[in-house]
Amino acid sequence: MHIVIASGIALLLALLPVAVAAQDADALRRELEQMRKDFERMQQQYQKSIESLTERLKRLETQPAPPAPPSPGATAPAPPPRSAAQLTPLDLARPREPFSLYQQRGAGQLLFDMGVTGDFVANLTQRNVDKANAGTFAGRENRFFPREIELNLFGQIDPYARAEVRIEAGEEAPGEETGVRLAEATITLLTLPYGFQAKLGQMRARFGLTNMTHEHDLPFVDRPDVLRMFFGEDGLTEKGVEITWVPPLPFYLEILGGVFNGDNETAFGRGKLTEPLVTGRVRTFLEITDTSALQIGASVANGRTADRLRSTLVGYEMKYKYRPEGWLHPLLTLSSEGIWSIRRVEVSQDVEVPIDTDGDGVPDDVTTETTFGKRTRDRFGFYVQGELQPFRRWAFGARYDNTEYPVNPGRQWAIEPYISFFPSEFLRFRLAYKHTERTHRFGFTDNGGSAGIMDELFLQATFILGAHPAHPF
Amino acid sequence: MQRVLTRLALAAIVVGVAVSPTAGASRLRVVATIPDLKALTEAVGGDLVDVDALARGNQNAHEVEVRPSQMLKLRRADVLVENGLELDAWVDVVVLGANNPKIVRGAPGVIDVSRGMSVLEVPTTRVDRSMGDVHPLGNPHFSLDPGLAPVITQNIVDGLARVAPEHRTTFEKNREQFLAKLENATAGWTKAMEPFRGAKVIVYHPQWIYLLTRFGLVQANTLEDRPGIPPSPSHVARVIRQMKDERIKVIIVEPWNDLRLATRIADEAGGRAIVLAPMVGGVKQAENYISTIDYNVRTLAEALR
Repeated sequence: MHIVIASGIALLLALLPVAVAAQDADALRRELEQMRKDFERMQQQYQKSIESLTERLKRLETQPAPPAPPSPGATAPAPPPRSAAQLTPLDLARPREPFSLYQQRGAGQLLFDMGVTGDFVANLTQRNVDKANAGTFAGRENRFFPREIELNLFGQIDPYARAEVRIEAGEEAPGEETGVRLAEATITLLTLPYGFQAKLGQMRARFGLTNMTHEHDLPFVDRPDVLRMFFGEDGLTEKGVEITWVPPLPFYLEILGGVFNGDNETAFGRGKLTEPLVTGRVRTFLEITDTSALQIGASVANGRTADRLRSTLVGYEMKYKYRPEGWLHPLLTLSSEGIWSIRRVEVSQDVEVPIDTDGDGVPDDVTTETTFGKRTRDRFGFYVQGELQPFRRWAFGARYDNTEYPVNPGRQWAIEPYISFFPSEFLRFRLAYKHTERTHRFGFTDNGGSAGIMDELFLQATFILGAHPAHPF
Repeated sequence: MQRVLTRLALAAIVVGVAVSPTAGASRLRVVATIPDLKALTEAVGGDLVDVDALARGNQNAHEVEVRPSQMLKLRRADVLVENGLELDAWVDVVVLGANNPKIVRGAPGVIDVSRGMSVLEVPTTRVDRSMGDVHPLGNPHFSLDPGLAPVITQNIVDGLARVAPEHRTTFEKNREQFLAKLENATAGWTKAMEPFRGAKVIVYHPQWIYLLTRFGLVQANTLEDRPGIPPSPSHVARVIRQMKDERIKVIIVEPWNDLRLATRIADEAGGRAIVLAPMVGGVKQAENYISTIDYNVRTLAEALR
């Protein structure tokens, strides 16, 4: 029995290593198989990568390098763009660098735009006009002068607002002195709900067509007479807030309301928010065809003068443009603006009063007494302008002005043909002749001179350096 | 008078409510600055979007006149698709007049398709306006390069999905279908242009570099003296001499540039001036994205033959 048990144990001991060895071999075989599969998978992946890279290399080698730009050495060719076939899903899924563009511009990237515009004017006129300081550029007759050199900074403040700052220098009186001043500084809130937008700061008020336009951007050399008469040479520039609303209508309509100090001394001058200057404007736009369009609008400004008297100005505006299909510039531009001024003024009147000198109860003499009263002055002025631009570099136009004086009696009219030459988009020369006739000389007789009839010749040179926002219609 | 005013006010309210953005609007209202981007957005957005463009195909995209009618389009827009690289910088003025916070700079509704783009002709030295109206950020006229459509459409998908994330899958599917169609067409165009690989052409304005590079052509010179500056007589003479010396057969002209001048120069040099479509709608045959490239390739191949 013992022998049988011993034999069994011996046999078991003898077979055990064989069984273990068989198990090890199976495991090893499986492992080897797995490794072989992994290797094949890796080989396939590498093969795919190699094929893909070879294909891309071939395509890159067969593509010619991008040709040099017109200015030699100014640019270097970037890597050729990849075709749809070459962009793998991995390429497309890869997050793109949001600021890669700016990195190309270098570390000194400005976060706002900056531009300089320069506007120079020369004018020649008769000696009597010069003596009376009665020219269009009063006090600067027969001079060449920098009218407006403007530094313009603009851009986004944050996702909600943008800012614009314009600093201006120009000759205000003959001499070596050139004054520098803040022309505009505004914040525009862009993300107000329901189609509202607010602009606050110091600004050229959006009254009519050209009041908000800076001198260098005017389509003629000088600001129209009606605006100079009713708002002064600098136009209606005020400190306050303007709110615009563009309602969701099927046509374009912009409604504007503004509240300002009322600092403009020509039209208002009270300068207090307790008695503010309130403005309003409505404008709409009719796209008659793809090539012609009309903008019309009406404005109002109501405030008080320095004497606390009511002053109201109501204006109309219209602008028509015809730009033939595919043209880079309009062929025909027509525009017009008019302003009614209704203002209370203080007037003095000499009244002859009978007096009794000898005390007999019967007036036997007269004396003159000055009485003061208030009157309403209701005055109107307008201009119409037409411009033809048959060539990209040349434009020909004329403006007709006719305006009463806002307070004093009388009126003046003027005709001003002009020709503009644009060597490039950033440089313009303009030559104009202006003939003015005045019914009254009142207010234009400084230094004993007179200026009933006035002939003036203007030469204007304007440049733009750097960034300049596009012009609206 | 009071009755008239009351009626007018009521009419305005009724009209306002009828056309207000919440009145039954289920499709995304998208406005693209140029027609190429309109076409690509339509391809990606399909039935889920209504797309309009601000510029027309035969306009110079650099010099589009800002009109209040464009502001009206943006007033109602959910998404603005812009080219970027300062090609359509004028859109900032349109946005400013639209009073729509959804599409102001930095808002989720603004898609700049130049993000991630391999831009050509990026200046590597100091540039200024003495070089003309240069592209300071590189050439922005990439939208008609079929090889760059994947990047543009990916930006559009990402942008649309930011505003309507529930439709991302549909946008992606539409994009894939469009790119597959475009890839087929591209294979045909590549084959058609293969015999002319390496050929030199003159361009009026440097706006064709992506198309030329895609099909292996070389821009030998520009007709403009410098970008945006009309050609001077001496430059014209130089171009004629170069065309004769280097046997250059073709001058590519944009619809708004002086075709008569280009034709005169080409005649003088024994070549041909051809008008290509700079954007969808640039010429009569350029009805959509693929037909525009097709027209350009066929016209170019025929002229080079």
